[in-house]
Amino acid sequence: MDTLLFSLKLSLQVATVATVFVVIIGLCTSYLLARRNFPGKELLDILLTLPLVLPPTVTGYYLIVLFGRNGLLGRHLYAWTGWSIMFTWYAAVLASFVVALPLMVKTTRAALESVDEELIRASYTLGHSEFRTAMKVIFPLAKRGIFAGTVLSFARAMGEFGATLMVAGNIPGRTNTMPLAIYSAAASGDRPQAVIMVVIFTLISGIFLYAANKLTRRLI
Amino acid sequence: MIKKMLLSAFLSLFIIAMFCRIASAEPPVDITVSAAISLKNAFEEIGKIYESQNKGIKVMFNFGASGDLMMQIKGGAPVDVFASAALKDMDELDNAGFVLKDTRVNFATNSLVLITPMSSKIALVSFDDLKKAEVKKIAVGNPKTVPVGRYTEETFQYFKVSDMIKEKLVFAENVRQVLDYVARGEVDAGVVYSTDAMVKQQEVRIVVTTPEASHKPVVYPIAVVKSTKNEKAAKAFLSLVTSEEGRKILSKYGFKTAGQSK
Amino acid sequence: MGLSVSIKKKVNGFILDARWEIGDELAVLFGYSGSGKSLTLQLIAGLMKPNHGSIGLNGKTLFDSESGSNLAPQERSFGYVIQNLALFPHMTVHENILYGAHGLSRTERDQRAGVIIDRFQLAGLEKKYPAEISGGQKQRVALARALIRRPAALLLDEPFSALDNPLRVEMQNFLKEIHREFPIPIVFVTHDVFEAFAIADKIIVYVNGKIAQIGTPAEVFTRPANSDVELLVRTRNRLLQSVESAQYDATYE
Repeated sequence: MDTLLFSLKLSLQVATVATVFVVIIGLCTSYLLARRNFPGKELLDILLTLPLVLPPTVTGYYLIVLFGRNGLLGRHLYAWTGWSIMFTWYAAVLASFVVALPLMVKTTRAALESVDEELIRASYTLGHSEFRTAMKVIFPLAKRGIFAGTVLSFARAMGEFGATLMVAGNIPGRTNTMPLAIYSAAASGDRPQAVIMVVIFTLISGIFLYAANKLTRRLI
Repeated sequence: MIKKMLLSAFLSLFIIAMFCRIASAEPPVDITVSAAISLKNAFEEIGKIYESQNKGIKVMFNFGASGDLMMQIKGGAPVDVFASAALKDMDELDNAGFVLKDTRVNFATNSLVLITPMSSKIALVSFDDLKKAEVKKIAVGNPKTVPVGRYTEETFQYFKVSDMIKEKLVFAENVRQVLDYVARGEVDAGVVYSTDAMVKQQEVRIVVTTPEASHKPVVYPIAVVKSTKNEKAAKAFLSLVTSEEGRKILSKYGFKTAGQSK
Repeated sequence: MGLSVSIKKKVNGFILDARWEIGDELAVLFGYSGSGKSLTLQLIAGLMKPNHGSIGLNGKTLFDSESGSNLAPQERSFGYVIQNLALFPHMTVHENILYGAHGLSRTERDQRAGVIIDRFQLAGLEKKYPAEISGGQKQRVALARALIRRPAALLLDEPFSALDNPLRVEMQNFLKEIHREFPIPIVFVTHDVFEAFAIADKIIVYVNGKIAQIGTPAEVFTRPANSDVELLVRTRNRLLQSVESAQYDATYE
């Protein structure tokens, strides 16, 4: 019962935090990809899409290479602060962020590109800066795509397993998100525990989707 | 017209190829061996010898935590031979009737060691030192599914450090992952089999070997799985493992085998 | 002082080379579709950059290839209305118009909005969305939005082309009224000969990216500078001729 409550709370927490970052960074990135040309644009697009096509374990491996205690970036962080992200719930957030970001970027980029260019030009000629135009015209008109991207990202973050297992580990009471807890229960033969968690996870996901659909119809 | 011709040519070739495969010589024999991951290096070498001695038979290895492997067999996985790092997992299969009882035999033993990354600067000489504040993370096998995790738990209890280090534990899914965490410096210490520490001698330092009294003996049983479709080939593998040749290879990797002094 | 334009631009093989000046008058850029009229407006507004030349408004340099100055569209004081009007579909009429009053204080904005909504006969429609109002009303909203900031000049790219005739004539008259109230340079693009004659103080004729003639409507229609221009104005002249001959017949029946 403890495991269940903890892993549920942890999963929601991790997914929410990851989604916040995904939305902010995702919007900025998809705006750049949709409306600017710069050297290395296609490369950036490919890099961002990779986590979508690579197996989560490969993504997890790259995260370890970068952020592990001896990783390319992690070693500096450890040298400065004596702290490593590995085996913490922040690592779970990182894993979820990396796998969900491509979904957000792809969805919102398409939505942004579909905004009528004439409207954007009109906004400029009426004296509004690029930033104001993005805030008042482009993003509001791409609302649907942005919302869809957010929902998708949250769902993906909730269900993240492979990369999370590799960087956050499966530490009961600390980093065992629900997918990991279900895996443990199943692997150790604890069927009742596994079944309860599976049912609850499915219910929560179902309710979430229902709420998302309803909101979509009302807001948009 | 051309399209139709090409399509029928392709289809006929395909059918012929399929027919050839079906009608060809004997059906290929292979056996699947699920073994505790600590046996990886030793078994892979034994496997090569087996294949050269039994032409036409291929050995497919499935390495992992004994608990995971046991669950797979229970779930009906088509495995021919099972070798675990603890009696518990084999007992569970045995009691549930999944193995051929008369093939079951203990073929090796192992010992547990406390290891630390080669680059670590923390002064660690005993299990008691794990309580030190500089030791922030300790990798151990997940006791639910990994035998080494259970042995580790017993050892921690023996040395009375369990409560104090509980927060520092990082669970790994099998013993080689524990080893990897230590080798990569992700953790400050870990507990693995002495045979595993040998595999990464350059990257890990053995602090101390556990006294025998601190945990149940690490005994490796092996048996033929009842649902095997290649009983003869499976039994042959067992014989090889327990033979003089097999024992030599196991010793090479640090295992103690029957007939050897402690 | 007026608007002075001297620009060269090459786009996908099409070459635009235009030079003209207008005061506080309503000038019509007239010519076939694809002759460079809309391109000229986009260059003046700063949405595209000329390859070479200069653009000045009331003495202020908006673009000069020699000195390298090039003001962003936001910094050029133009009202700009295009054929499809570009009304923001997610904003009400009131919000659309207020959007044009960027940079003014809130009280100033609201006050001007109130005045212009009344003046443009849009009272009562403030809370409606563009999809809910008629074609003529949309036109007036677009113009109101462009004019609320009191720009120094107005650029209109075939704004009335999508309207049917009676409404079109109404809007043309409305525009002339507005011009009396806001005597600023207005550049109006059209390929419709009747429209050009109806509203222009000055006509600038475009043929294949070049200026073929500049003059008052009377000058252009009675003394076309070359055969291209003559071709363009022929329709109107034909119509006038047939009207004249019908009158003649009627008089001397």
